Amino acid sequence: MSENPAAAPSTANAARFRAGIGQPPWDLSVGAIAVATLFALPGGYVLWRALTGGALHLLVERRSLEPLWHTVQLAFLVSASTALLGTALAWLTIRTDLPLRRFWRVVAPLPLVYPSFVGAAAFRSGLTPGGILHDLAGHLGLDLQFRLHGLVGSWLVLTLFTYPYVYLPVAARLSALPSSLEENARLLGDRPLQVFRRVVMPQASSSIAAGALLVFLYTVSDFGAVHLMRFETLTQTIYRTRLFDQGRSFALALLLLALALLVVATERTVARRGSRSEVIGDRSPLRIPLGHWKAPAIATCSLVVGLALFAPAVSLADWGLFGWFRQRRGLAELRLDWGDVAGATWSTVWVSMVTAVVAIAVVLPVAYLLARHRSRLGGIVNSVVVAGFAIPGLVVAISLIFWTLHASPFEFLIGTMPVLVFAYVVHFGALAVRTAQVAVSSVPRQMNDAARLLGAGRLRRFFTVDLPIMAPGLAAGGGLVMLSTMKELPATLLVSPIGFRTLVVRIWDTYEALYLAEMAILALVLVAISALLTWFLVVRRSDHLA
Amino acid sequence: MYFPSTHARRLGVHLLLSVSLLAGAAGLTGCGSDDDKSITIYSGRSESLVGPIFEAFTAQTGIAVEARYGSSNDMALTLETEGTKTTADVFLSRSPGPTGYLDDLGMLAGLDDDVLAEVDASNRAGNENWVGFAGRARVLVYNIDEVPEADLPDSIFDLTGPGYEGLVAVPGSNSSFQDWFTVFRLRNGDDVAIGWLEDMVANGSHFYPKNRAIVEAVGRDEVRFGLVNHYYNHQEVAKNGDDQRSANHGFAPGDDGGLMIIATASILDSSDDKEDANRFLAFLLSDGQQRYLTDTVFEYPLAIGVAPADRLPERPADTVGAIDIDDMATEFKRTIEIIEASGVLDQ
Repeated sequence: MSENPAAAPSTANAARFRAGIGQPPWDLSVGAIAVATLFALPGGYVLWRALTGGALHLLVERRSLEPLWHTVQLAFLVSASTALLGTALAWLTIRTDLPLRRFWRVVAPLPLVYPSFVGAAAFRSGLTPGGILHDLAGHLGLDLQFRLHGLVGSWLVLTLFTYPYVYLPVAARLSALPSSLEENARLLGDRPLQVFRRVVMPQASSSIAAGALLVFLYTVSDFGAVHLMRFETLTQTIYRTRLFDQGRSFALALLLLALALLVVATERTVARRGSRSEVIGDRSPLRIPLGHWKAPAIATCSLVVGLALFAPAVSLADWGLFGWFRQRRGLAELRLDWGDVAGATWSTVWVSMVTAVVAIAVVLPVAYLLARHRSRLGGIVNSVVVAGFAIPGLVVAISLIFWTLHASPFEFLIGTMPVLVFAYVVHFGALAVRTAQVAVSSVPRQMNDAARLLGAGRLRRFFTVDLPIMAPGLAAGGGLVMLSTMKELPATLLVSPIGFRTLVVRIWDTYEALYLAEMAILALVLVAISALLTWFLVVRRSDHLA
Repeated sequence: MYFPSTHARRLGVHLLLSVSLLAGAAGLTGCGSDDDKSITIYSGRSESLVGPIFEAFTAQTGIAVEARYGSSNDMALTLETEGTKTTADVFLSRSPGPTGYLDDLGMLAGLDDDVLAEVDASNRAGNENWVGFAGRARVLVYNIDEVPEADLPDSIFDLTGPGYEGLVAVPGSNSSFQDWFTVFRLRNGDDVAIGWLEDMVANGSHFYPKNRAIVEAVGRDEVRFGLVNHYYNHQEVAKNGDDQRSANHGFAPGDDGGLMIIATASILDSSDDKEDANRFLAFLLSDGQQRYLTDTVFEYPLAIGVAPADRLPERPADTVGAIDIDDMATEFKRTIEIIEASGVLDQ
């Protein structure tokens, strides 16, 4: 059923429906404006510093335009390839009789959890002489001569580590969609690929676009991967000049922000044209038999997950084992205190879960505004929230230190958990907002109306009608926030309470000190923990409710 | 038809429960112990390296150390943003650049005489606002299977010659390289420095983002030579033994290629506990801690009278500290611009 008022079942409903589409209630508007104001803090700081930095004229020079062009190229390439990969994996794991579906659904989102400097380093080292992948290929008679770097290297690494931004929302969307259309298409003789193109694509397109947008924004703000791959993007210049040439650094950050806002606005215009269908009660599981497509499907999943998750993990295990044996031979001891590792693991788990819950709660008003009301306010709020994801974490951290200490009554909060969680939420709220919007629009209005007629208040309707239906979508968005928070480094280093150590802080420390074996073990712990959390909070939840 | 109410109630309860549990956990973790005496250190050196020094200081003096870690540039940027409201007392930096930047902003305090007396005048700031506590030599790392010792160059200017075409790795974006290049440039003038860098580019030098990556690459002969800090090779050898096929080479005494870059310690002017902060600096320069830095981390000790670990090559004659740089931000900005314009980052 579409959002066209004329299709509503009764005239009374249609009138109410139309009323909803128009002016949003005042409290929703106020809530959304408050959220937008908070999310605008980093961008506002960038704007202010860029305007007062006296370096805006540099933006039209070749040395700014070239990194800009590199950034745009890379971001479009990565968005396109992840849209393809993420959608294909989601459809295979949700809608077909692919063997070991549950396994694939747990492991498919996990590559997101590699901090990009770890992933890129593991990938690169694995493929160079002495690296385990290179040596394995050597045993098979292959001589891997290529060195991974530049545009191709960055594209490959970022594609493999960011496709979950598309996979998770699309998988959530597919598991919430009625299967009847696909069933009909099957009955009418369409083959799996045709069903995919003619039925699934149009229904999932808004989720695919939302995911690809996130990938775009992640790519333009990434530093770790492009740095190791030696690809000169805007973020690289921003980092290089961050201390000694701040005028230029903030001017380029403003350019990044402008690019992000442009892309966010474009995506929204396109997404609004797409039709959405609401969830109807029918939830009988549909599994499209893959038939002789089964082998290629398994091969695709294995290749993607193998490269993105297991290849770096194998490199890491190789380093970790090397350190272990070194210790056994009495050469150098592993510098790991297991109590310390446990503490860092616990910190990682609870801070990322708190962040995910807070982020969902904060973006819900925005999602309601976007999904239920067509107003200019919604567009602006959406842009502000989503663009926060394109600002590098370091800039987010510095801006929040500035606002907290010098322009707010909350000076006493500096160096406490609330500021850290706030930094995470402002940086990663974008990951939850579009999936939340799709989730809100998947709640059938009739159900809500019926509850209202039966006398249920707004809060009760929210908890008994909306929330259960939205849960898989919200869980997917929250999962993205959680996995991203687990690997966030600059904000964690700069605004956390002193002494607060997450796993990625430990990983970075051992990496900087050249303790690769220790780094590898910690990174594997991070992957294992995120696998557990993904299973409990994202996969099982959506199973349970679907 | 789907009846959500029981699920919903359970979900709501779950959510509430987990939020309150987690909030409780947050409260517990947030309450740090508020000891009588403590100093706060912002450290650009990693916890694995300096953490043991902090623990030893606390054990000896009873003064607790609260430490924030990050790259030296990020720590300096944070300190600048926090301004006088920072809680930091001490700033440890990998190199004089970020320290000098904060000094130019007027954020550093003069150090006690007994701290200054621990190091040679060439290893501290002219205005006595910071001291060096450990040194790293700029060296040429080379592959020992491919390059006989007799063929090693005396001068960094040799590397632009035909014998080194396509064989040298340069960490163009690395901050130690930028420290070195800034001094190289100020000593020889921009024309000579730019000329050298452009010749390196024309000679097909390779760009690597990190020192460590260069030492690894030289070890497996992916590239034959590299311009790096000395201690990466020592750490690789300590880990890999004879499997590590690379060694350090120091340029001839007095050559511009060999230079010591010093890690620096300073005290924030806004600190309300300068006495304990000075005590920490004195501790950092004490024999025991200087021995730890040279024996375990393989850096050059800077306190007068402490000898470098035996396995380290001879100490370079010049240090970055010996050159007084008037305006750090301007000079480093210029260095970054020259490095970008040379094209070395695209190699």
